[in-house]
Amino acid sequence: MNAMNNMDPSGSSGSWLGKAIVVVLVWVVLAGGGYWFFAGRGGQPAKDDRAARQPGTEPGKGGGSDAGPAQPAITIGVAYGTEKRAWLEWAVEQFAQNEEGKRIQVNLIPMGSLEGAHAILEGDKRIHVWSPASSLYREVFLAEWQLNHSGSPIAKEEVLALTPMVFVTWKNRYDALKAHYPEITFESISQALQMEGGWGGIAKKPDWGLFKFGHTDPNKSNSGLMALVLMAYDFHGKNNNLALADIVKPEFQTWLAQLERGVTARSDSTGTLMREMVLKGPSSFDAVMVYESVAIDFLKSAEGRWGTLQVVYPKRNMWSDNPYCILKTDWTTPAHQAAAEKFLRFLMSPAAQKKALDHGFRPGDPAVPVKFPESPFVKYEDHGLTIDLTTICDPPTAEVINNLLQTWQRAAGPR
Amino acid sequence: MIASKPSPRQWCWTESLGLALTLLILPAMGCSPSSQPAPPQPKGGSPTQTRPAGNDVLELVFPYGSEKQKWIDAVTKEFNDGDHRTAAKNRIWVRTVPLGSGELITEIQEGRLKGHLASPASSVFIELGNAESKTRTGKPLVGETRNLVVSPVVVAMWKPMAEALGWGKRPIGWADILQIAKDEQGWAKYNYPQWGRFKFGHTHPEYSNSGIISVFAEVYAGAGKLKGLTAADVARPEVGQFLHGIEESVVHYGSSTGFFGRRMFLGGPQYLSAAVLYENMVIESYGSDPAPPLPVVAIYPKEGTFWSDHPVGVVQREWVDDEHRQAAEEYIAFLTAPEQQKRAMEFGFRPADVGIPLGDPINAAHGVDPKQPETTLEVPSATVMNAVVDLWKQQKKHANVVLAIDISGSMQGKKIDNAKIGAKQLVEILDKGDTLSLMSFNDNVAWAGQGLSMATDRQVAAQDIDSLFASDGTALYEAIAMAHRYLVAKPASDKISAIVVLSDGEDTSSRMRLEELLKLVETNVEGRGVRIFTIGYGSDARPDVLGKISEVTQAKYYSGTPENIREVFKEISTFF
Repeated sequence: MNAMNNMDPSGSSGSWLGKAIVVVLVWVVLAGGGYWFFAGRGGQPAKDDRAARQPGTEPGKGGGSDAGPAQPAITIGVAYGTEKRAWLEWAVEQFAQNEEGKRIQVNLIPMGSLEGAHAILEGDKRIHVWSPASSLYREVFLAEWQLNHSGSPIAKEEVLALTPMVFVTWKNRYDALKAHYPEITFESISQALQMEGGWGGIAKKPDWGLFKFGHTDPNKSNSGLMALVLMAYDFHGKNNNLALADIVKPEFQTWLAQLERGVTARSDSTGTLMREMVLKGPSSFDAVMVYESVAIDFLKSAEGRWGTLQVVYPKRNMWSDNPYCILKTDWTTPAHQAAAEKFLRFLMSPAAQKKALDHGFRPGDPAVPVKFPESPFVKYEDHGLTIDLTTICDPPTAEVINNLLQTWQRAAGPR
Repeated sequence: MIASKPSPRQWCWTESLGLALTLLILPAMGCSPSSQPAPPQPKGGSPTQTRPAGNDVLELVFPYGSEKQKWIDAVTKEFNDGDHRTAAKNRIWVRTVPLGSGELITEIQEGRLKGHLASPASSVFIELGNAESKTRTGKPLVGETRNLVVSPVVVAMWKPMAEALGWGKRPIGWADILQIAKDEQGWAKYNYPQWGRFKFGHTHPEYSNSGIISVFAEVYAGAGKLKGLTAADVARPEVGQFLHGIEESVVHYGSSTGFFGRRMFLGGPQYLSAAVLYENMVIESYGSDPAPPLPVVAIYPKEGTFWSDHPVGVVQREWVDDEHRQAAEEYIAFLTAPEQQKRAMEFGFRPADVGIPLGDPINAAHGVDPKQPETTLEVPSATVMNAVVDLWKQQKKHANVVLAIDISGSMQGKKIDNAKIGAKQLVEILDKGDTLSLMSFNDNVAWAGQGLSMATDRQVAAQDIDSLFASDGTALYEAIAMAHRYLVAKPASDKISAIVVLSDGEDTSSRMRLEELLKLVETNVEGRGVRIFTIGYGSDARPDVLGKISEVTQAKYYSGTPENIREVFKEISTFF
């Protein structure tokens, strides 16, 4: 049996397996001609496009026919969220070692997901591939792009890997919270943040100080935006069709403002936020909301510093699908697009997908198994990790997201 | 008019950020003239570093917060000894420049120090420097940063004293420090009358990161809050009283956290009961030579503390080209590689690479707890920071200072002129709650002014200094003895009593011998007494004699020249 079958959360439209399969099928149809489409469209077999002239090269297999040491012939810039840093840095290093990769210089440009979108909108010519953490902001990005351009700036899009959102707490804090609140939800987090005397009131532990919760800045980082959307769904008890009317409701705005007033600090990047938690321990955060993959990446490190981390899945969740978007902008030539495709093929190769799993991502390639003894989902089961999720919410419309962000800005106030 | 000039205490930021920012944040970031022992380091690195010969050397200038000097020295030597090359095949050689964190950012900002990468003690320095740079040039000063190491701010205390307060059995906080600081009985209240009164030290909050953090923490504790401190909280009378109560027990201030640490470990419990230091310094005390008289432990105040997070990034200025950037990245990658990160732990720092588990020496055997701190305090807003600094100025321990200047014949010319400029700078810097007396000595010792209030007589003091001229011999010992007798005759437990002596040669005219003087001025067992800061001015000065005088009074000796004398006076002013 394909291990992936065990991971289908609910058969809902948002399941990561369903999404991955659809995207992969679409890609398979397009892949054969894709290269030629990109390579040929520009009609310029330019001297900097040696990589594009080797369509038969497979990731990891080499296959270059030129004699002598290969020199990078083209450079592509990939704007990516730091949650994928470890995996992508590994991939770039490995890619550079095969014959095809030697001809393509991949520049990783760490940017928050929304920051990357804004950079493209402002014409940042370094970026040829946008790989945000999720497609959540995609509609907003496209809408803004079309204010000044016709058509889409995205030539091609493929899911690299999937991950849901999780709360991460220190185990001793988790036990203390559970003793006071029946379950860990945004509501209980909000109550803990507002508790008079902080931990003194929650668990008779005044020396733990105030309860400290963090998420990333929703205006800069996808995980912060995801957290915000999940807060809204949770408040309204909905799983889909989050509406403008929900956002402007005074009760929601008041509740959000109360919660956000207690949020200790906001990082621009999910990886940085999680690293801060592990570096400075409970003195910085008792709990954060991050991607499951980021949490997995830090579980072992945390043991060597402050102790055990506990992962808790929110009642309602959303997938971060880590799309790899090859751009179709003035500064992205067919040669850039072809090179970007070759790097994409490498990222989707079994070895790279397996590596993604090592870093806590659920592979975008459904053929890569996830349930085996060394899999983080098995290895860290005691930390609360689970493959199956309950309820997956639909991404809201661009209008709802924009209003939610504005509401958040008012609620959080200047920092 | 002197009083209307910008205070030299604000020298590093007033020019660029304006008074408000200076008072609010920059002092908090340790705008220190130098946290190194005097004389202040020349810009551009330690003279002990020798650039290798050859035309294929690419030099990287690396200004960094001096708290991590031992680690940086050790690992940079390895890097420089290795053969690290750029893509253009040039050998990378790093010149390290240890400085105060505020100073290094200012020096790069002003272009006086052409650093290629920088690492202050706190990321707030980077944020402030970048904000200022964007205002000026539209670009940040330092690019994306990474943490090199981290270390929490702690109250370092002698272990038996900490145990007397309950350390090891219950969490200790600022409120406990206040209680014993205010108590006339001091340690007697805890059944240790032989320890005398509680003696506390933290650095000057307008110069040093740990100093402003101490004051923030005291104000938070006084307000009974852990976050959300407001200007209204700071204005509450009981908060001011709380702060005053703790500041009363301060022995003196200073610009360098490292100096406090070293002095504490050397001077023993009779000098300081506790000081606000970084955790790595507590660990360092276990290997210091000579060994401290008692073990030191770290108290992580239960109300919360702050982290020193040592960010590093590449400078974004025209003197940094692509090859420098590439070389800087290579060096940063070296510093953040597991091997160097593990070495940082040997020096008591917590590695920024969270993949490295904490181990020896970050453990109880070295007086620290790797599972602390449990909580941190929120950095206040700019407005509140301003209010806190103002409150501290009202509630701080003020100083009675005697400035004794050698006006012997050998001081003629540039030496006396520059000494007068430096002395007038000290007059400018002193707080309005301080008093200054001015003494000159050659064959004779004479008072030029006594008990001048800096609230009303600052200009008079400056005029008195201007009136000095050089002639005749040097009655150094007689002058110090007279100044000492003057201050002892006016005991004020709520004031820091200090003499600042500037002399360019040995005593030629006193009837008193050095041994007699030392016996007279030596700080008593209680740690109370007059601190004598000495400046050996010029090449004929006697550092051995002057050093001894400052040592027995638990103060500090400085080597001065007409070129650096302003810096030296500025550094001394941070003790008051």
